[in-house]
Amino acid sequence: MKKAIYLVLAFVLLVLSACGNGTTTNTTSNNETTKSTETTETTETTETTDSKEINLYTARHYDVDDTLYAKFEEETGIKVNVIKGEADELLERIKREGDATEADLFLTADAGRLFRAKDEGLLQAVSSDLLDEQVPANFQDKDQMWYGLTKRARVIVYNKENVKPEDLSTYEALTEEEWKGRVLIRSGENVYNQSLLASFIEINGEEQAKEWAAGIVSNLARDPEGGDRDQAKAIAAGIGDVAIMNTYYLGQMLNSEDAEEVKVAEGLGVFFPNQETTGTHVNVSGAGVVKASKNKDNAIKLLEFLSAPESQTTFAEANYEYPVNDSVESTELLQSWGEFKEQNISLSALGDNNAKSILIFNEVGWK
Amino acid sequence: MQRKLANVNAWTVSATVIMILLFLPNLTIVMGIFTPTNENWAHMKEFVLGSFIKTSLILVSTTATLTIIIGLSLAWLIAQYQFPLRGFLKWALILPLSIPPFIGAYTYHGIVNYTGVIQTTLRRLGIEVNHSFFDIMNLGGAIFIYTLFLYPYVYTITRIFLSQQSASLIESARMLGKGPWGTFFQVVIPISRVAIIGGASLVVLEVLNDYGVVKYYGIQTFTTAIFQTWFGLGDIESSIKLAASLMGFVILILMIEKLLRGRRQYSYSTTKVRPLPLISLKGWKARIATGYGLTILSLGFFIPIAQLVDWTILTFGTIPISQYLSYVSNSIMVAGLSATFIILFAVIVGNFSRLVYGKTAKLLPKLSILGYSIPGAVIAVAVVTAFIGLDRFLGPLYQFLGINTTLVLSVSLIMLISAYIIRFFAIGYNAIESGYDKIGTDFRDASRLLGVGLTKTFFKVDLPMLKGAIISGFILVFIDVLKEIPLTLILRPFNFDTLSTKAFQYASDEKIMEASQASLLIVAISALAIVIFYKFLEKEPN
Repeated sequence: MKKAIYLVLAFVLLVLSACGNGTTTNTTSNNETTKSTETTETTETTETTDSKEINLYTARHYDVDDTLYAKFEEETGIKVNVIKGEADELLERIKREGDATEADLFLTADAGRLFRAKDEGLLQAVSSDLLDEQVPANFQDKDQMWYGLTKRARVIVYNKENVKPEDLSTYEALTEEEWKGRVLIRSGENVYNQSLLASFIEINGEEQAKEWAAGIVSNLARDPEGGDRDQAKAIAAGIGDVAIMNTYYLGQMLNSEDAEEVKVAEGLGVFFPNQETTGTHVNVSGAGVVKASKNKDNAIKLLEFLSAPESQTTFAEANYEYPVNDSVESTELLQSWGEFKEQNISLSALGDNNAKSILIFNEVGWK
Repeated sequence: MQRKLANVNAWTVSATVIMILLFLPNLTIVMGIFTPTNENWAHMKEFVLGSFIKTSLILVSTTATLTIIIGLSLAWLIAQYQFPLRGFLKWALILPLSIPPFIGAYTYHGIVNYTGVIQTTLRRLGIEVNHSFFDIMNLGGAIFIYTLFLYPYVYTITRIFLSQQSASLIESARMLGKGPWGTFFQVVIPISRVAIIGGASLVVLEVLNDYGVVKYYGIQTFTTAIFQTWFGLGDIESSIKLAASLMGFVILILMIEKLLRGRRQYSYSTTKVRPLPLISLKGWKARIATGYGLTILSLGFFIPIAQLVDWTILTFGTIPISQYLSYVSNSIMVAGLSATFIILFAVIVGNFSRLVYGKTAKLLPKLSILGYSIPGAVIAVAVVTAFIGLDRFLGPLYQFLGINTTLVLSVSLIMLISAYIIRFFAIGYNAIESGYDKIGTDFRDASRLLGVGLTKTFFKVDLPMLKGAIISGFILVFIDVLKEIPLTLILRPFNFDTLSTKAFQYASDEKIMEASQASLLIVAISALAIVIFYKFLEKEPN
């Protein structure tokens, strides 16, 4: 018995004293170690690219993504290793892992986060003719640090019974008196809303963007709560008449297993705002190759695969997102909502103005 | 004599090492207090902090009060009275703990919202309802959710205390002619103060560190501020500074708890732990007791489970079942490993704190609870930093072993499990500490007087009496790890999914129906653990 406890204690001590040393060293000499490994690492990375693996950090959680990775594996024999998490947390992990990171590709559902990754120096430029052909220039980073893979539009959804499409025109018009107590939108904590406001800051300037946010707050039917789907349901419940939400949520509701959700979605119309003016807000899901990637070629291959027509169709069919690849016809449902004019701004602006939009939300009391 | 001294050293050294390790990652956060303030901090302070703090305080204090009322009253009913279904309720009332609060929040919203079963049924019956009556996504709703799914912390700890320890005191009160209410207010509440506060402080910490419920319900709390500065403003320094202030607040709570505990002496007076003789309730009183227990249990367990089952049936077949096998085994593996290590460490540290006289030894382990107050995502950053440092430090060793990559530990499960240990040590330690408290030091001293060594005494005398505490601590940690989200998401190795990451994945995409299958499995495993735990404890008195 006594031997056993000594063994356990010895083991514990061994493991833990090792940890103890490590952590103390880390706090004191972290910078030095980073520098010293930097030089050795970078020489290694450029050479070892013929491996049969790619490591992906992704903030997209959809099942359809897994299906596509499996297909990629099958076609190329390159194994896709995945860590799924939240965008900012994954970014922080890549940042702290520095040059030692195992991540090759960072995939997320918001251009603002891609901009942030680039801004922090976590991505590298890659070029490929195939990518340029498949992803239009306005959905790529101008320095080729990231590429858009799917498009999502943030539109106005309305109650078909008491709102006519003629009543609607622009995002800005929703701040007018006639919409008092009728507008639904989720919390300002949500990144889709941050990017929406960031686009307004880019197009109209900070002052007007702030006026818009304040106008929406004073027209809200209720304090922001829930997700995009909940705004649609609130229209059905008669709490408000119009909601700002992403189209693919409506697609998901129309195809829900729950008959009640389908009924809610069928009572709603989709309106693409600002068609006569600045265009409807679009955002992208996209990915960029991590700067310290050890499997850069494979990462590019995966990017090419995901933007190829076949994958683009799969995204559209399974997740109701708009393809970025022009050569792909969108699905019947997406076509039924109609063609639309998009905002003509650099998507990087969404990231550039992200912090400003948070400050505005706080200042105008958009919860 | 020499050997005994060596023994003391082994306990002391290992306990100290464990405590330092548990505390080190928190140090990154504590240091955050000293980072200078910037314009983001000023902005938060000017526009939002005031109202966020107010909301947090209301949320925390109301939830704590309600969980104490519900937890204590149920514990008291079960410990003192006999009524129909008492035997079942005794363990079933722990079950709500098996439902992660964020899943509970999504599920309840699913039940009461416009497309939910209540409103749909009413519409079919042609009844027009005021929709706002069913709105659960507000402060009141969040309090409701936290109370329902966290009260078992108070209930479990208090019930075990009351049924095992209070017999003689309560019997004396009864004999001296105190009525049930008099006994409750003048004897039960004062003597179970420690247990109540212990349970309630876990509730408070859990509410403070949770982000899932308040985010979905659109409630802005202090945690919101932490994430807003990090995710929104991209300013992790300010967010760590906020987290550090939260830690300061928690230290304050801990000190208050310490004061409230005051001088206590509650250890067993004899080796026989007598259960309290039960008073039989008859007629309407019995019906009320049973009805009360069943109502809480239904709200906290059966109703959400029924909804989850319904959704699982609706979506059955849309997700390949074969995958779930690996999620289940992954979940059980990490939860089991973490719980084992935590209990082992807690037993060592607890024994040390008991053996050494002096306030520091008693207070130090308490500091390890600090990590529990902070949102998991912030802890995760501290853990990543520590492990990357460790990997770089071990670099020469890896090269010697022929490993060519820099990151070894930090891309393995070791990092995740260490993070669980840091985070949930407090839960395990609370259970073990109360176990040691009950034993006291008299038996140990007797054994030592008879010339038995310290370590042998521990195994022969203390450990058997500690069994109940070990098992209850293990189960609590096990369930908490099963439910855990932020650490698992950020720190997991490649291609590693658990039931909770799977449930979160769907829920965060607003696909709550698809999330139901993984959620049900979490509940099923936790419930199974609770049942096993109960069976074991039941055997104890014999």
